[in-house]
This record gives sequence, structure tokens and C-alpha cells, in this order.
Amino acid sequence: MNDGQATMMNPGSVSRRRFLRVAGAGVAGSSLLTMIEARQAPAQIKGSNLRILTWSHFIPAYDTWFDKMAKEWGDQSGVKVRVDHIPHLEIPARMAAEFAAGAGHDILFNGSTILTRIYYKNLVDLTEVYDQVGKKYGGWIPAARSPVEVEGRIYGMPVYYILLPMIWRKDLFDQAGLQAPDTWEQARVAARTLKAKGHPTGIQFSHCNDANLNWRSVLFSFGGSETDPSGENPTIDSKETREALRFAKALFDEGMTPEVFSWDDASDNRYLASGVACWVHDAISAYRTTQETNPTVFQQAHIGLEPAGPGGKRVSTSAPNAFMVWKFSKNVPAAKEFLAHLMDMDKQGMIESTGYNMPFLNDTAKKPMPVIGTDPKLQVLQDFPKIVAFFGYPGPYTTQIQEVANLFVLPDMFTRVARGASVDESVKWGAGEYQRIFAKHKRA
Amino acid sequence: MARVLTVRQKQTRRYVLIYAGLVPFVVIAVFPIYWMLITAFKQDPDLYRMENIPFWFNLPPTLKHFKILFYQTNYGAWIVNTMTISVWVALITLMTAVPAGYALARLRLPGAENTGIGIFMTYLVPPIILFLPLSRVVASLGLQDSWWALVVVYPTFTIPFCTWLMMGFFKTVPMEMEEAARVDGCGYLSAFLRVVLPVSVPGVLTAVIFAFTLSMQDFLYGLAFVAPGDQKPVPVGVPTELIRGDVYYWGSLMAAALMVGLPVAILYNFFLDRFIQGITGGVGK
Amino acid sequence: MGGPDATSARAAAVSAVASGPRLLGWFRSQTSRRLGFGYLLLTPAAVYVLLLVGAPFLFSLYLALSDATVGEQVAGFIGFENFKSALEMDTFWIAFRNSVTFFVVAAIFKSILGTSLAFLLLQTFRGKKIVRALVVIPFTLPIAVSVLAWKWMYDSQFSVFNWVLSRMGLIGQYGTDSWPVWLGNPRLALIACIGVNVWRTFPFSAIVLLAGFTSVPPEVLDAAKVDGCNFLQRFHNVVVPMIFPILMVGFLFDTVFTLSDLSVVYILTQGGPGNATQILPMLAYQIGIQAGNLGRGAAIALFLVPLLAPAMFLFLRNLKRREY
Repeated sequence: MNDGQATMMNPGSVSRRRFLRVAGAGVAGSSLLTMIEARQAPAQIKGSNLRILTWSHFIPAYDTWFDKMAKEWGDQSGVKVRVDHIPHLEIPARMAAEFAAGAGHDILFNGSTILTRIYYKNLVDLTEVYDQVGKKYGGWIPAARSPVEVEGRIYGMPVYYILLPMIWRKDLFDQAGLQAPDTWEQARVAARTLKAKGHPTGIQFSHCNDANLNWRSVLFSFGGSETDPSGENPTIDSKETREALRFAKALFDEGMTPEVFSWDDASDNRYLASGVACWVHDAISAYRTTQETNPTVFQQAHIGLEPAGPGGKRVSTSAPNAFMVWKFSKNVPAAKEFLAHLMDMDKQGMIESTGYNMPFLNDTAKKPMPVIGTDPKLQVLQDFPKIVAFFGYPGPYTTQIQEVANLFVLPDMFTRVARGASVDESVKWGAGEYQRIFAKHKRA
Repeated sequence: MARVLTVRQKQTRRYVLIYAGLVPFVVIAVFPIYWMLITAFKQDPDLYRMENIPFWFNLPPTLKHFKILFYQTNYGAWIVNTMTISVWVALITLMTAVPAGYALARLRLPGAENTGIGIFMTYLVPPIILFLPLSRVVASLGLQDSWWALVVVYPTFTIPFCTWLMMGFFKTVPMEMEEAARVDGCGYLSAFLRVVLPVSVPGVLTAVIFAFTLSMQDFLYGLAFVAPGDQKPVPVGVPTELIRGDVYYWGSLMAAALMVGLPVAILYNFFLDRFIQGITGGVGK
Repeated sequence: MGGPDATSARAAAVSAVASGPRLLGWFRSQTSRRLGFGYLLLTPAAVYVLLLVGAPFLFSLYLALSDATVGEQVAGFIGFENFKSALEMDTFWIAFRNSVTFFVVAAIFKSILGTSLAFLLLQTFRGKKIVRALVVIPFTLPIAVSVLAWKWMYDSQFSVFNWVLSRMGLIGQYGTDSWPVWLGNPRLALIACIGVNVWRTFPFSAIVLLAGFTSVPPEVLDAAKVDGCNFLQRFHNVVVPMIFPILMVGFLFDTVFTLSDLSVVYILTQGGPGNATQILPMLAYQIGIQAGNLGRGAAIALFLVPLLAPAMFLFLRNLKRREY
């Protein structure tokens, strides 16, 4: 970003180099070192403060790395960095408070709930940094722009997204002579067969983020959509939506138990770990935690590609994550520097998250990807970038869609059907809600 | 002879009825606490098995959750913060609600009645909206991200009720005492300080203990105004740092809850008699 | 000049001393000193409340009448649009109905449990202090944490209630239809939330009632006994009127807190399943803060105020009247 500016060697870096070598920091240390030296911070941000608010990552080791990395960058650039962590669900409240106060952190994280469009007038325009990072690392994947772009300018730095692949118990499938769940239909048959043997499946029919993501994957894979590509008109009322709803009802009746109505984001993780679930559609953190809590499951669970709908289409709805900078921040240059540095660490970050973070940058998404490229079970995740989508697909991630997501309209549609409402009733209600919300925003 | 037996029988029957009546209440109130206590010491594999008995240990108990709490989180800081905040809030509430209560109760100020009601009605304002303008206040005082922000904000919900409490309490102090003091030459101030206040100690204590416990109930303000891990009070730190999306650290959560809740419950009980007296004098009479 | 009462004698003496024209001056300054002192005492509380509650309240009124979002908190006036669109929302009426149901059912249970407990605590028996200590604990635990414990107690797989009930044979095994999924069954979910609220606050009701009972002078009760009233008549005609003010204040306090409480639903169900536990504060939070539409969130949050405020005002005025 500051190629044209004079950079100064930080006098401290010499002893730092020696320190890192002596401390035997190993591969990680020296690659970190290389990265740091590759980007020397300009003198002007020395002595300043930078405050970062990010979420409590599901993989605690990532947070440990992030904090350390931030501090090292700060030491190296002469910036005093402080990182705070709060759960991602609480970030909107915190953002609202900081905005009302006109003061707070410099850099903020948004996870799943991306509020760029709501706050963009008060966020720093990051288009330059975004473009430079993209240029440096082979470009951004097509889906990267949507959450952070408003009126042609970029107001956030997409950092990674989180997949919810298929996690299935190979041992149970093999025992019952079932094929891997490559299509939703196969998944349904498997659930039906294995429920009879005491191993049902479960997808949340409730007010939680995973419900928003999972049911959209089903809907989109069945060819349905929320809006048209412009994002202005809801298209939820369609034949494909009806098909998806009918499928969900059948899946519930045949393959699940009523407890799914009380599930939250962590319930399917627990279900898998308890050994009951035959498959779940969940982030790999569910798979990783079984390593400790249920090693048998860990051994037997396999990761699968997003199942295909009846037309062969596969769409995996993911949760995007991005960092933003407040305009009222007193240290915008340092913030930009830090974000650029963070994206330099993209590969490293992915390693530290044990493959949980999926990259937005093409370079990192090139095969073989870190961690998931080498783990035989996780290899299939490398095929996801082609099929990933976010809320609002195929349209952009708009404020209206954000509200639709926040009110859990789509999960409610599926819940109604599972509870016995007719498909048409549910579609009528859902479409009505979409229309109402979209109309509200047009009025405003 | 026969009459004595009957009386004793009646007494025994009475005792049996009372205890029988009490058992469900105690069970309802205490059962979750007991369960929390056990969970705080249970190993994780013990907890996540459906066949295991929830009420006792199937695997040996462990101190692991307490260790996590004290060594891997800022729990120590949270407790200190919570206690400090509560003490300050109680103090501020004291300094504001006690004089206000007296003024409204005894000094025959015009409009006192409506002011009193108005103060109580502030409870109708929903905190989910309040926290936004308060955020600006906090920031302009430079207190953002420090637990002092909470010291400033919590009195907004302790002052109204405590004012009402003190109003009622002061009403029970006989007028004659004050008048006597004043006729003796005391000014209003000394009459208040030297005569009324000493008699109202139970009421004051009531208000203090109430403010203390109330300031431990908040979650939203703490979340909105305090982000740094070491500045949070317990009710904010526990849900935000002991739950990481998928994973609930149940053992530590329960341990955290109990370590802060039980001492306060004991303290509360110590003042319970005064509290009862306080409410009694509080309204009516 | 003197009555038997020493005080009035002294007062009379004073006024006799300050006789004549000086009387008027003295009286005036007395009053002004009293008022001055009074307002001085009142100032800290008044300032606090006006600045930190009053002003924000006006701000929230303004929000409710504007099209503000979290990103643009100073916005255009749109009159009652927000209220109108709230009323058009299906979910709003569900939330309204749930809020009222929640409040009424909780209040009923709290009164029953609170009254019974208060009666029991009136008796003398050994271990009374211990019982009182134990029973108060639900109220003193921080709400965010105790509700989390309940979340685990209601878990769809590991619920301790289900464990007990199924071992007792009252419900089926895990996986069958008669295994209650407390937070997943729309009919059970609201009851589950109400249960937590009742558990938390019935000790408070009991204590308030206990305070009331103990405040009734025994002479009055004895007089009623002598007059031939039985227990129920005594209760109804003597005790209740006397403790009515205390009951009222406790009731109002609890009303406001229950109707505006967000924590229980936020932690247990987030308004689900399918809006079965959606209540006004939760809806207001989802729309106002999470979705960012501050204007409509404020309108929903403030919705109950015009309903509750006059009721509260009348009650409290009535209360004050009764005192004099």
C-alpha cells in the first residue's frame, strides 16, 4: 500500500531477528519474520494506538495466534495494539453503541451479520487496500465483493468465510450399505434408513445462524433463490422453493426427531459428538471437537461435498467475515496497514484455524490449500470455493436481506412446514414477509 | 392428662405440615443450585453422556473448571470489578436516593407526589434503547471500555426504587422527633443528620443491599460499554468468554456463577431482616 | 397556653417568643429554608434521573418517530410510520400476545407460590433462617448466568428434568414422541421461559408479602380474632387492605421488570421456535439493533409505555391517597 513512501528500518528489528532465531521459533517464526520484513511500516504511525475488536473464534488457538500476531506487528511498527474479543452475536449491539458514542475501536469485525451497508457512510473506504491485496494474491474469489461493496466502493476487508459441509459417519453408512451422501436425496434416504437403527440426523428448525445457512443451502441447491440478481426483488415464491420445502418436510418426518426445533448453533455439534447423528450439515469445528470428546466419531466421520439438488446444482451457503474501520477512528493509516498485514498472513491464519477459515483470496484458495490440502479427509473442502454463496444469492448482500436473516424468516418457513403447515401456506407467509421487508426499505 | 397429649399432637402435626409444605419450595429454589454445584466439579465426558446420573459423580470430580476459570480467563479480575462496581453504585445510590427520599417524604415540597411517581416511572424506559444515548454519555466522559462506565450507568436503575424505599421509610419516623429537634434549635440539616438518619439505619441498609444486588444483574450495558477482557464484570465476562459459539464450557460457567452468587446470597441473608423491615416501612403504614 | 402535650407547649412557647411582626419574617424564612434544603437534597437524584434517563427517554421517543438506523441515528421525522408498520407485522401481534401471556401466567404463579411461601415463613420453626437463606438464592444469582444453567437443564438431549421424569416412568425414552423437548416444542417453550422467570422472582414476591404480613400490628389481628372473624375473613378484610400498598409497589416493580426483561428469551430461545417465545423486548432488539432499524425497534420497545404509564400513574396516586 505504501510502496511509494520511504520506509524506515525499525532499529528494533535487528535484535528481533536474532531473538526469533535464537528462540528457535522454527518454520512459523521465520516465515512470520519474512512477512514482517517484507512490509515495513511507515514512520508516521509510530507511537500511535490501534484498537481492534474481533470475535471469539470458535477455534481458540486461532485467537491466541491472532493476538500474538497483532502484538508482533504492533511492536514492529511502533504501534500500540490492543485486541478485544466478544462473541460474534453481540457485535451488532457493540457497533451500535460505538457509533452512537462516536468513539470506540478502530477496527471492527463482522461475522455472519455483515453490517457494511448499514454503516457504510461512517466506514473508511478501503477500496485501495482491497484492490492492492487482490492484485498481490491472485485476485479475490467472485463472492468476496458482495458483503463489503456499496455503490461501487469497498468498505470492508473480507478475511475469511466459514463453510458448513456435510459431515457423515462412514461406519454407519457402510454398515447399512449406503452410498456417500452426494445428493440431498441420498442424504434423505440415509437418514431414513439410519433413523430406524437409532441414528437420525438433525438440522436446526429454529432461530439461529446455522438454520439460516443450512436451509438456504438446501433452497439454493434445489434451484430456488431469495432475490433476483439485482437484489431488489424477492423471488422466494417459486416452484423450486416449494420443492425444497417438500423435501425438508420429508427429511424431517423420515429422518429426524422433534428435538431439532429447540436446537441452536451448537446443538448439531453435540449431536455428532454424542454418537447419535448419522450425518450433520455443520462447520468442521463439530468434527474437530470430537477428537477430544468422542474419538470413535472422530475416526469414522468423513467430510463431504455440498450435496446436489435434484437438478445437480450445488450451492453452499456460508458465513462471511470481514473487518471494517470506523471513519471516526483516530488512526486510519495504522488500521489500513494492519489489515494489509493481516491479509499477508492469510495462509498462516488458515493454518492456525486448522482449516476452519476459508480464504477469499485466490492464491490461498489454490490447491493444495493449507491444512485442508494435506488432510485426506478435508481435501474435499478445496472444491467449495466454486460453489460458495452468501445470504441474498444470487443477488448481493443487502440491508433488506440482512433484516430477513435477522428475523429468521427462511428458517421459520421451513419450521412451519415441518410442523404441519401446507407448503403453499408457508410460501405465502414467507413471501409476504419478504415483500413487507423489501417494501419498507424501498420506502426509507 | 388427655389435654396435654392433644396439644403436643397438634404441635407435632403443625410441624409436620410446615416442613412438608416447605420441602417443595426449598427443592424448587435450591435444586438448580445443587445441580450447578455438581456440574462445576464434573468432568466433561461425565457431563456429555446421557446415561449418566446428573445428580452425582460418575467419574471422579475435578477441579479443572476452576483452574480454567482462574488461570485461563480473567475471572479474578471480573470478580474484583463486580465487587468494586457494586460498592461504588451502592455508595452513589446512597448519596442520591437517601436525601431525595427524605426530601420527598418529609419536607412537604410542592409537586413532591408527582416527582416521586415520575421517578418510579423511569423504569418503563426500555434499556435496549437507552443504551445508545448512554453510550454517548459514557464516551464523552472518557469512560468507554472501563468499568467506571458501569458505575456511572447502573445508578439509573437503582436510584428510583431506592428513593421510593427511603421515602416510605422516612415516613415512619415520627414527626415529633424532628420537630423537637428543630425547635431545640437544630437547622433542617442537623435535624436530618442527627435525628432522622440514625433511626433509619435499617432502611438505609436495605437500600444499600438492594442496589448492590441489582447492579449484578445487568448484561446489556456491560456488553455495550466494556469490551476489554479485564474490565468486564462477572455477568458480562462469563457469557461472553466462556461460550465460544459451538462450545459451552459448562463446568466453568457453573463454577463462575456459584462463586459470585453464593457469597452475595449469604450477604443478602444477613440483611434480610432489615430488608423486610425496610419494605414494611417502605410503603403504607 | 399549654396543653398536656409538651411538644405543642414548647411550640407555643416559641411562637409566643417570636410574636408580633417578627413572626411573619420568621415563618417566611423557615419555609424558604425548608424548601431550599429540600430541593438541594433532591437535586442529585433528580439530575441523575433527568440526565441519564429522562433525556435518553426523549431521545428514544424521537427515534420511534423517525426513520433512524443504527448507522444514521439522526434522521428524518416520519410521524407514526414506525408504529403503523409495527402493527402491520404478523410477528408483532404474536410478540404482544406472548408478552401479555408471559406476564399474566408468571404473575399468577408468582402470587400463588409467593403467598404460600410467605405463609410458611410466618410460622416459627427450627431452621427458619436457613430455609430463608436458601430460598432467596435464585434472586441473587446474576440473571445471565442462572438462565444459562437453565438452558442446559432444558437441553434436548441432556435435560436433567427429562432424565428424572423418564426414570420415573412418567415420560417415554429419549427419541420417542413423549420425550418433551422443552425449548423446541412451541407449546412448551413459552412455559419453559415463564418457569425460569417464576423461579427467579417468586422469592422476591414471598419476601415482599412476608414484609407486609409482619407489618400488620398484632393488636389489629387480635381484635379481629376477638370479633369472631375466622382466618379467611381476617385475611381478606383486615390484612389485605393494610398491606395493599406494599403489594402494589412490589407488583408494579415486578410488572415492569418482567415485561421488559430480555435475558431469559435471549439466552434460551432467541424468540423461537417459530416465534413461539417471541416477546416485545426480543423483537425490538432483533429489529432495532441486530437488523439495525432503530426507528422501528424503538417503536416496538416503547409500545407498552403508553399502556402502562397511565395505569402506573393512577395506581401510584391511589396509593399515596391511601396513605393519608
